[in-house]
Amino acid sequence: MRRCLFILLLLFGVQPASALVVDQDTLWTGERFFTEDVRVLSEVTLTVAPGSVIHFSGSRLEVSGRLLARDVEFSGENWGGLLLKGNDATTLLSDCVINGASTGLLVQGGAPRLERLTFSGNKVGLELRGKAAGKVSNCRFIDNSKVGLFLKDDSTTSVVGCWFENNHRYGAYLYHAQPKEFYDNVFVKNATGLIIAYHGTDPVVSNNRFEANEIAIQVDRAARPVIRDNLLRGNQTGLYVYRRSDPLVTGNRIEENRVGLLVAYSSYPQIEGNDFLANELALKLEFQSSLWETERGAEARIGETSARSAFAGQGMRSVTEDDRRAKGMAGAVKVVGNWWGDVGTAELVKIGPTGNPSFIHDGKDQATFVDVGETFPLDKVIFAPWSESAVTEVKP
Amino acid sequence: MNSKMIKYLYITLTLLSLGLLCACSPNGEGGLSGQMLFQDQPLASAQVEIYLKADKDRSVQPFAVVVTDVAGRYQVSLPQGSYFVIGKKRETTDDGRTRMLMAESPANPHQVAKGVSSIPSFNLHEMGREGLPMADAATGLSGQITYQGEPVSRAFVYIYTETDSGLVGPSYGEAVQSDKSGYFSIDLPAGRYSLVARKRVDGSRSGALSPGDLNAPYSGNPVKVRRGERLSLAEFSLAGVDAEIYAQRQADGVFAKTDTRLFGLVLDAEDQPVSDVYVFAYLDSRMVGKPVHMSVPTGEDGKFALYLSDGGTYYIGARSAFGGPLEPGEWVGTFDDQPDHRVAVTRGTETDLGSIIVKEFW
Repeated sequence: MRRCLFILLLLFGVQPASALVVDQDTLWTGERFFTEDVRVLSEVTLTVAPGSVIHFSGSRLEVSGRLLARDVEFSGENWGGLLLKGNDATTLLSDCVINGASTGLLVQGGAPRLERLTFSGNKVGLELRGKAAGKVSNCRFIDNSKVGLFLKDDSTTSVVGCWFENNHRYGAYLYHAQPKEFYDNVFVKNATGLIIAYHGTDPVVSNNRFEANEIAIQVDRAARPVIRDNLLRGNQTGLYVYRRSDPLVTGNRIEENRVGLLVAYSSYPQIEGNDFLANELALKLEFQSSLWETERGAEARIGETSARSAFAGQGMRSVTEDDRRAKGMAGAVKVVGNWWGDVGTAELVKIGPTGNPSFIHDGKDQATFVDVGETFPLDKVIFAPWSESAVTEVKP
Repeated sequence: MNSKMIKYLYITLTLLSLGLLCACSPNGEGGLSGQMLFQDQPLASAQVEIYLKADKDRSVQPFAVVVTDVAGRYQVSLPQGSYFVIGKKRETTDDGRTRMLMAESPANPHQVAKGVSSIPSFNLHEMGREGLPMADAATGLSGQITYQGEPVSRAFVYIYTETDSGLVGPSYGEAVQSDKSGYFSIDLPAGRYSLVARKRVDGSRSGALSPGDLNAPYSGNPVKVRRGERLSLAEFSLAGVDAEIYAQRQADGVFAKTDTRLFGLVLDAEDQPVSDVYVFAYLDSRMVGKPVHMSVPTGEDGKFALYLSDGGTYYIGARSAFGGPLEPGEWVGTFDDQPDHRVAVTRGTETDLGSIIVKEFW
């Protein structure tokens, strides 16, 4: 395959380049083919002219200086993608397509401007790490096999107006990162639209739209974000709160999902002032028991860590049990001040605050569950007082 | 404090005490010993922290901690491996000021094999508000970095107070970057210093040097800075990193081929080959810290070859990254023929480990 591509490029008059260090300001135009890494030195500017097509085969572009590229296609086979090392805001990539790489664009620190880019067919589309800052705006993350956008390592990059579609595992993954802004993004048809995971990952995620994902938002492993004013519609699961995660969830419109909100494994979120509309099941508790958490929670996490961590117990960044501890566990999950739609509210009025709503699955529907041969009571949901009217505005 | 808390505290203190006793045991199989100094005098009650990694911003707890005795001496038992030693002491001066003394062993990292290895004694330094040695604004040095007669901008000049490290690694006391004209200036307390300057093509402050990088120690090392003196250095010329020497060092390093080899395949749970995974060999069954040997990353076919310097018992793991905590998206796994991931290797042989199954960690 590689040989065929090489011959084709020769036939079309494209000169293959060998190993290259760019040590002075340089302009690339037209079609370029690189079989070895290209390194742009610090204080050097590489400008790629609009309409250029840059191919890499088994190699990558590494920029320590500055990269200016507009309307350029970066692609290749078995290639590593673009690496920006500490580039400041004078680096600007706009209207480019980056596809087929192991990591399409890796930003290692700095604050480059990334605007209207398309990341498609990569393993990871865009990864920002090393306390990266700056802004990713109006980009498209489509059909990446692992993660569309991976924000990690104390990065604060804003993510605004981006489109995440059909990413096979996660549309966006926030891991130990606090994006300064995260709004006006759309997540469609991803396995999981957005995951916010691990203790210390507490961003504000607001005014985004999630539709037709398997899971729209997953909050996992002791993360405590604020999920506010989002639309979660037509997903298999709207919001999945998992493994000791306690997000604040408010002002969201959660509608037409198979399960609106799924709470599992010792999570005690604050769910206030949301609209739950026309979900097959508005709220479900699963393996959720304050008694289980008291008796088995810490032990289970130790077991999980040693079983899954690197080699012999040196696992992810450490989270103490104190960090994970819920502020209040009394066998109940509070979900008060929410609007359950006209039909749901009518049912609540009829059954009263101690009744068993048909749209909530909790300890009133399933008294217990079994874990390693022992029975634990499933928590109950406190849903009163509820809102008498919708709390969110219908958005287009 | 209720009785339950007191009980936990008692248990914790007991375990800590046992741990320290164990760590200090002179009968341990291997370990490190040495002496901490401050202004060339023994420093009692200093905390000696033993780390598995070199990063300045360590995000993990020390592997072991001991305290120096009245003569500033310490000894700690450790399993075989490589360790980084740091000395620290917070104390109150006679005038009521709180100060922090700190330094890394200039000879870091230290290898522990059988028996107790002695670390050269080293001085702790008083730290300023930004974690740097207390500088005197009227005292310091300045100079110009050049390469082939031309000024070199944004080169890093590293100021070492000890020379045991060979002027490499993170044990420098301070670093300063040259300006557009290659000039640099730094405030320092009076003392003797050794300087080295480097400019990496990627602009980074630290990391292994590569062909194209510039590097040189100052020809006038060591320099002595007197109190109240602004020392102006002679020309500080750099040289390029030689590609052939670099290649030879790479060949001699962790990837060097030997006549003792482990080989096999890295596969996922569906028996598909996994690329870009390193295979590591440890001497310690806990498999933490720096491995003694590592492979180059697997290719598309998942094949790996791990060359060992000697026979013996090794503990084998595989990861798609090296160093740092495990992160989501990494492949990770172990050689599982034995529950403790062990393989016995005879020198001069090639051993097929079969397959190492890795999983993606999310």
